Amino acid sequence: MSSRTEMHVSIGGLNLESPVIIASGVWPYEAELWSPERLEGVGALCTKAVSLNGRAGNKGVRVWETPCGMLNSIGLQNGGVRSFLDDYLPLVRGAYRPFLVNLVMESEREVRESIAALAEIPGIPAIELNISCPNVDGDGMAWGISAESAAKAVRIARSEWKGALWVKLTPQSPDLAGVAKAAEAEGADALVCGNTWLGMAMDIKKKRPVFQRVVAGLSGPAVFPLALRTVWQVCGAVKLPVIGCGGVASWEDATAMLLAGASAVEVGSALFTDFDLPRKIVAGLSTYLAEQKIDTVSGLTGLGRHE
Amino acid sequence: MTCGGSAPRDYEAKVAGGRALGDGSGLLAVECEDIASAAEPGQFVMVRPGSCGDPFLGRPLAVAATSGGIFKMLYRVVGRGTELLVSKRQGDSLVVRGPIGRGFFSSRGDMPLPKKVLLAGGSVGAAPLLFAARRLGMAKVAGVSMGVSGRGWEGFAEWLKESFPGVALFSDDGSVGTKGTALDGLPCQLPADTEIWACGPQGMLRALAAKYPEDRARIRVALESRMACGMGGCLGCVIPTARGNRRVCVDGPVFTAEEVLWNEFAD
Ligand SMILES: Cc1cc2nc3c(=O)[nH]c(=O)nc-3n(C[C@H](O)[C@H](O)[C@H](O)COP(=O)(O)OP(=O)(O)OC[C@H]3O[C@@H](n4cnc5c(N)ncnc54)[C@H](O)[C@@H]3O)c2cc1C
Ligand SMILES: Cc1cc2nc3c(=O)[nH]c(=O)nc-3n(C[C@H](O)[C@H](O)[C@H](O)COP(=O)(O)O)c2cc1C
Ligand code: FES
Repeated sequence: MSSRTEMHVSIGGLNLESPVIIASGVWPYEAELWSPERLEGVGALCTKAVSLNGRAGNKGVRVWETPCGMLNSIGLQNGGVRSFLDDYLPLVRGAYRPFLVNLVMESEREVRESIAALAEIPGIPAIELNISCPNVDGDGMAWGISAESAAKAVRIARSEWKGALWVKLTPQSPDLAGVAKAAEAEGADALVCGNTWLGMAMDIKKKRPVFQRVVAGLSGPAVFPLALRTVWQVCGAVKLPVIGCGGVASWEDATAMLLAGASAVEVGSALFTDFDLPRKIVAGLSTYLAEQKIDTVSGLTGLGRHE
Repeated sequence: MTCGGSAPRDYEAKVAGGRALGDGSGLLAVECEDIASAAEPGQFVMVRPGSCGDPFLGRPLAVAATSGGIFKMLYRVVGRGTELLVSKRQGDSLVVRGPIGRGFFSSRGDMPLPKKVLLAGGSVGAAPLLFAARRLGMAKVAGVSMGVSGRGWEGFAEWLKESFPGVALFSDDGSVGTKGTALDGLPCQLPADTEIWACGPQGMLRALAAKYPEDRARIRVALESRMACGMGGCLGCVIPTARGNRRVCVDGPVFTAEEVLWNEFAD
């Protein structure tokens, strides 16, 4: 087993005991699953998306399997920031490790109000600003497409939030490096790269698109090479720590993300089939470090970029 | 939002045996002490039939029986995942997550059991009902009514007769049992001390709710929905209920017919 210091990473204001973070939107608020026993190997967790007011989410089919992956169109179902603070925060704290509140970038007024509500409560370590959800109209991903709108989003959030601010990017931006630089310039502490990829599915029996919104977000092992490429790109554009996210399903995937420049990884869909993945990633990284004679996992970050 | 029992776990389990029932349906027995000892009727498991992440997601399958560290599932081949189950042989390993959800018993909370239960199922919906019948004891089971589509289900029908002596059997085309649906085997009026426990295609369960508009609180349905995680996390499986969106995987799969907003719920 790995020692604490070997796996320790310090990223954008947070100290993590391992570089494996549970991505937003996949971990349920079930008390048992937030107990330390069920979170072996997990360095930090992201909550499900939180918006100012509750959202019912999308109607119709919400998940659909694809080759080595899946599409989702959940649509940010959540009870709103007050419900999060009242109903779930105690549970989240019970995990005894850093957590990030995944906050939906809505209108300026809504985001300011949400952050004000979070800021009133002591001990919330970090916000992961979601400028990248593809499953709603207007909010979410619309903010993450251009450098200008991303800059505005981060500026608004930064002016309200004193804690750590991570920004979750969308791979749909045609100017990912520009968006990343804009977020860095506006004071983000780290960048998560990134959210799901826009896809769709057709129900050939019904001769209709599967999803009511037609499009949906693609995740899982199928997107890993794409996500790895975006991490490489973004790490080349900014000095901020980058968290690799998209299709990580093994310790080898996590290692590749780190070598490409990431400081940590987020795992999402792969937890749907393996609760134990974070522990397995940490174990695999630990063996790899020993074989490669590298002292700490942070020593892997960007190693693959050197000549 | 907490699940019925404890949160499921993942197991790499061994296939203990299988039995083809003909025409693409079959039983698969899996060795897993934890699931076999904890599962209750109506609960299910997520089975990953492949390897190397393809197919990617687990397939939800109800627990059909348990005994001595082994649990059984009843499957019908409809696509890639269930097709892979057919080729599983004794000793093969299989990744399963479970047991998942609130079953027929735990979904009652503190409510006492009814005097009598009528069981109504469509095709592989028989699985959790078989398990329920065993747990209830045949003395409590007032009747069993099952429907299948017809031609191609003969082997399955034989197995049903074996499993539920006295079963009223119906098929859409009349080739197996009587022409009709499982609903035709149920009384026009639901006796006061009786509940119906049902599992089957959504259309059948909807028709069941429509048949007894006044007695929906005494009808328990085990629902299906597309699922990704089977742990309550993805919110992919929600259905509209009187209490808002509820997750079929961990808030269900057993609900009362009264809770479900049938008109807002289309596959
Ligand atoms: C709680 C629950 C219990 C079930 N119990 C049984 C059972 O005991 N026996 C049995 O034969 N079947 C059962 N089903 C249905 C079974 O899950 C599907 O037939 C199976 O997932 C089909 O997988 P496939 O790969 O063969 O089909 P494909 O169509 O190739 O599957 C593609 C994707 O769609 C999903 N999917 C397809 N059909 C369904 C469906 N009807 N419900 C949910 N997801 C679906 C699959 O899981 C997979 O992710 C149950 C479903 C649920 C939700
Ligand atoms: C069912 C589901 C729900 C998700 N919900 C959110 C969310 O609420 N907020 C968010 O920022 N990302 C959300 N995501 C995206 C994931 O956090 C992650 O960025 C993405 O799935 C890629 O990683 P993966 O391939 O490891 O799943 C969701 C993904 C899935 C599959
Ligand atoms: S299958 Fe993920 S919440 Fe039910």
